[in-house]
Amino acid sequence: MTQHMDRPKHIGARIQRFEDTRLLAGTARYIDDIRLPNMLHLRFVRAQMAHAKILEIDTETLEDIGFPTQVFTGADIGDLSIKAHQDYPEMQYSEQPLLARDRVRFVGEAVAAVLADDAYRAEDAAEMVFVDYDPLEVVTTMDQARDPEVPGLFEGWRTNVFVERQMKGGDIATAKAEAAHVITRTYTTQRQAGVPMEGRGVAAEYDPANRTLTVWSSTQIPHLVRTYIAEELGLPESRLRVVAPDVGGGFGVKGQVFPEEVLVPWLAMKTGRPVKWVEDRREHLTSSIHARDHSHTLEAYVSEDGRILGLKADISVDVGAYSTFPFTAAGDPGMAAKVMPGPYDFQHYEATFRALATNKCPIGTYRGVGRPSAVFSQERLMDDIAKELGLDPIAFRLKNVVRNFPYTNALGFTYDPGSYAETLEKVRDLLAEDRAAAAASHKDPHKRIGVGLACFVEQTAHGTPDFTRRRVPIETGYIAARVEMTPDGQAFVDIGLQNHGQGHETVMAQVAADALGIDPGDVHVRHGDTLTTPYSVGTWGSRGGALGGGAVHVAATRIADKLKAIAGHLLQTDPQKIVLQNGAAHPEGHPDRHVAVAKLARAALRNVDQLPAGMEPGLEVQYSLDGPNDGTYSNAVHAAVVEIDTKTGKMRLKRFVVVEDCGTILNPLIVDGQVRGGVVQGIGSAMLEHFIYDEEGQPLTVTFADYLMPLATEIPEIELHHIETPTPLTPLGAKGLGEGGAIGPAAAIANAVADALGIEVSKTPLNANALWHLARKGEKNRAG
Amino acid sequence: MRPSEFEYHKAESLEQALALLQEFGDEGRPIAGGQSLVPMMNLRLARPAHLVDINGLGLDAIEEGGGVIRIGALVRHETYLAEPLIIDNFPAFIDGVHAIGHPTIRRNGTIGGSLAHSDPTAELPLLCMLHDGEIIVASAGGERRILATQFFEGAYMTVLEPGEMIVAVELPVPPASSSGAFVEMAERRGDFAIAACGVTLEHAGGRVTRAAVACSGAGQTAMRAPQLEEALEGLELECPDAATAIAAFTDTLNPPDDHSASADYRRALIGQLVERALSVACSRAMEAS
Amino acid sequence: MIEITLEVNGETRRLSVESRRLLADVLRQEFNLSGVHIGCAQGACGCCTVHLDGKPRLSCLTFAAQCDGMSVRTVESVGGVDADHPLQKAFRSEHGLQCGYCTPGFIMTLIPFVEEMTAEGRMPDDEEIREAMSGNICRCTGYQGIVEAVRKAIGENLKEGAQA
Repeated sequence: MTQHMDRPKHIGARIQRFEDTRLLAGTARYIDDIRLPNMLHLRFVRAQMAHAKILEIDTETLEDIGFPTQVFTGADIGDLSIKAHQDYPEMQYSEQPLLARDRVRFVGEAVAAVLADDAYRAEDAAEMVFVDYDPLEVVTTMDQARDPEVPGLFEGWRTNVFVERQMKGGDIATAKAEAAHVITRTYTTQRQAGVPMEGRGVAAEYDPANRTLTVWSSTQIPHLVRTYIAEELGLPESRLRVVAPDVGGGFGVKGQVFPEEVLVPWLAMKTGRPVKWVEDRREHLTSSIHARDHSHTLEAYVSEDGRILGLKADISVDVGAYSTFPFTAAGDPGMAAKVMPGPYDFQHYEATFRALATNKCPIGTYRGVGRPSAVFSQERLMDDIAKELGLDPIAFRLKNVVRNFPYTNALGFTYDPGSYAETLEKVRDLLAEDRAAAAASHKDPHKRIGVGLACFVEQTAHGTPDFTRRRVPIETGYIAARVEMTPDGQAFVDIGLQNHGQGHETVMAQVAADALGIDPGDVHVRHGDTLTTPYSVGTWGSRGGALGGGAVHVAATRIADKLKAIAGHLLQTDPQKIVLQNGAAHPEGHPDRHVAVAKLARAALRNVDQLPAGMEPGLEVQYSLDGPNDGTYSNAVHAAVVEIDTKTGKMRLKRFVVVEDCGTILNPLIVDGQVRGGVVQGIGSAMLEHFIYDEEGQPLTVTFADYLMPLATEIPEIELHHIETPTPLTPLGAKGLGEGGAIGPAAAIANAVADALGIEVSKTPLNANALWHLARKGEKNRAG
Repeated sequence: MRPSEFEYHKAESLEQALALLQEFGDEGRPIAGGQSLVPMMNLRLARPAHLVDINGLGLDAIEEGGGVIRIGALVRHETYLAEPLIIDNFPAFIDGVHAIGHPTIRRNGTIGGSLAHSDPTAELPLLCMLHDGEIIVASAGGERRILATQFFEGAYMTVLEPGEMIVAVELPVPPASSSGAFVEMAERRGDFAIAACGVTLEHAGGRVTRAAVACSGAGQTAMRAPQLEEALEGLELECPDAATAIAAFTDTLNPPDDHSASADYRRALIGQLVERALSVACSRAMEAS
Repeated sequence: MIEITLEVNGETRRLSVESRRLLADVLRQEFNLSGVHIGCAQGACGCCTVHLDGKPRLSCLTFAAQCDGMSVRTVESVGGVDADHPLQKAFRSEHGLQCGYCTPGFIMTLIPFVEEMTAEGRMPDDEEIREAMSGNICRCTGYQGIVEAVRKAIGENLKEGAQA
């Protein structure tokens, strides 16, 4: 389906971003900047117990508070809820009510909504609502969740397992029978989250005259929010508009439909006044979504000469109290099970995966979704196998990586061409000196250097069949773009993506400009508003460049074809020989005989008498691009060099290197920014970030003093190297890019720690306390 | 996360501030830099009904006299980094100030605020204890002086009574042949420490004649280590080996065991930090002499 | 309520505020300065940094009542709607921002640092630059673009100074 453009000029260029000016000037508009006349401010009363029956909600004190308030509780909202079910018979259903009814299931769950004219006063009023609870048995561990003796979190549940399923390919028994070595390990990755600098927020206004409801939400998925609200509130979707204003970071967090996004519009309709809710940081850290929290037991079957024959995986994820929409409770464990074979060539695989319910904040998507945990386990296992077999970890990987493409893995997924061996070889060359220095340091009792790497593939931009197979309510993954020219020869690109830092306003302009032969500055990209943009799934799953860019390219190319036909007519030349360049059309080889694109656009839209006979007026094309069936596979190797002070547990990242392949690079400035940003989030995952609950289900990490994210001082320069293997599966050869940076660091850093201390590392985060204990273990191992 | 209601009072003089604080009792709090108090108020963990703003009262001088260096309660952290009286006399103090928070916090935070907040692993409480500081506290009824070692009662708890505020800290001027160092371990630069240690030394003839050691991370407040200090007397500056004395000290510690650090890690870490602070202090002493 | 006079980005206004109103909220609501962002409301992220009497200050840890008679600068005053301050330009060319939410805080924190280094006539090393921004959290960029932007802005100032 590849369609060729004339001469790419802007695609691949390091163009500065158009969106930067308003963001730098302070004139961008985020959710809290939405201010409407007569607006009510919403503050939630949130559960302070992890699992309890609600005996009474006392709001009487509000009568004497001295300013007007309104309060709504679960009793007022009926059965409105977030329903996120997969259509599997073994799935146990959970519904998250918009406000708790009868029972709370995690600390931070919304119990009552309090409205006042001012945000400070709403907070004052919410404090005055008293909730009387009757505590229930709290489930906080995976073992408790699997225990059939522990009562279910929901009526009629058997155990606290949302779902347990299997995936397999080949015959695992054959692999086991042929194996010379069987290596079994358990690896866990901690609970963490994307934590954008802007939290969530929703505002809504109902216009009874036109029966239209407008909802502003800091979301990555405005169309999906619109459909969910329409279906849940029983409103005609044509009367609903969802706007994502400037969004201050998402990272997957804002890629769910949240209870608040349904409740706020409901309250606006109920009260007849605009309502706004802006989350505070404590709410964000306890009540939005969390991510990861995986435990994997892997068993690898390896031949005498170090070839992987098969892999068996048992995957558990603590997904918290509710299934989230649209990726569901099974999203993370299912993804881990699907991607665990990774970049390695073996044909026997079997995974059992389960989603476990506990009294904690629900798990949702965060950059990488399942893959950072899967790659952590898989790549730690590769090092552990190499060590057990006495093999060099890079040589062992080179022996096992897929080299012939397309390659169909044990589960039947087909990988398009990549550069797995090349990226490994490149990293091997780049790190030769560091590896020597590390080896030399291993005799030093105090200062240890370690080198570790992670090699991975990332399924990106996957198409509808992938979601159909999983029977998830997301259902599809296409992106639509509409390109429209104006009579002055400029263009709109209206795209179903939502831009919250990815540079879509620039990249999509580059793509359209190349097809249309105009300057990217003459392309206005609009997004994030269901009123102006075609229906799409929004921004997630590393599909912006690959599918969004592809859709813009196809739509713009079709307009370009029409411009060429008009130019051919005006210049009395074969349209096939027309070139669009620098804002003008000319016959190939005759740049002097040119006609301005603006004149062609004006002919199509205004002076239609100049069009070829029978040509339809207008210059607007919409195109929806679904992903390839199995997606397109990006790949990368991440490598970390660490220095550990074994006496204090202090670790310094001396060097972090990425060699990555995301196919065609659309804008190197943005590609580098996406990779580096992802890597630093991954470093946070590896070393710092951890949501901790105590045995009562109380969250202990509720502020930025407890939930530690990387600061500039903790981070080295991230070195990037690119290999470009364009994919034949998307129009521009681009593969997905946004998530990859976050996938490798935990594995690379853990492998570096294992190398430095001479021990096996089985879990993250590798903070100072953990490292000191690991260093002690390493000392004991050597002594013993 | 916005504060509950309170009344704001801008004090024009120390007398007025003290009178207001007297009037409000435990409903009143002085506010200076606000870097510790306002986060607590935004979280509604602190909810004073009256705030007395003392920023206009001066109280920001660093002066020498009568054998002490007096630091006004409103001295901002970044001030020390360019103040010869501190740089020349208290190397450990300067090390510690570098580790406080971030530039904006250092520019606005005050010593009085930090001491009154009494975070268990904050730098300034430890440094005041290390340097035998006295905290000067005023109220409408007069002044009292409290040794830093007796000022902190626990996490976020001090001996300050309602109506009282810190007006200054006095640190005795150390003798010419003295040295010091401070080392801390934090998860990220600028965070409150997991543990920290400060050491000061007086020395003669290549040996330690008097030592002070203060550390945090072992309990709800920073602490001095008197037995260890005694054991360090006579230590050679050139290759200080205090391992036995340090181990004897850390054996007595019973640090908290929680999600951010285990008790045995904290104990071992404190030992390491003492060793390192001591080593830096000794080499600084060697350089100077 | 308390009467205060604030000079904000050159405009002096007398207004009546509740004692507890944070400077950040007053700038946003009374002065319509939406470039002041609140990221954590506890002084841990730097998003809300403004200049109070010329110095960086966390406007989420400051009550407007405390600022009577003082002068406030926000990001809106730095390079206008075109964001053409040299540091803003360097953020653009070095990709020092993605979602933009933390950006005004970084700009307001780093402008005095750039000026100080320019006045001292020296290029700070990587560690110094990172320390200067250690009170600000960016979740998008991984900081490298910001570090490069600071270096570029100082470099250009130094070049200009050398030519002048």
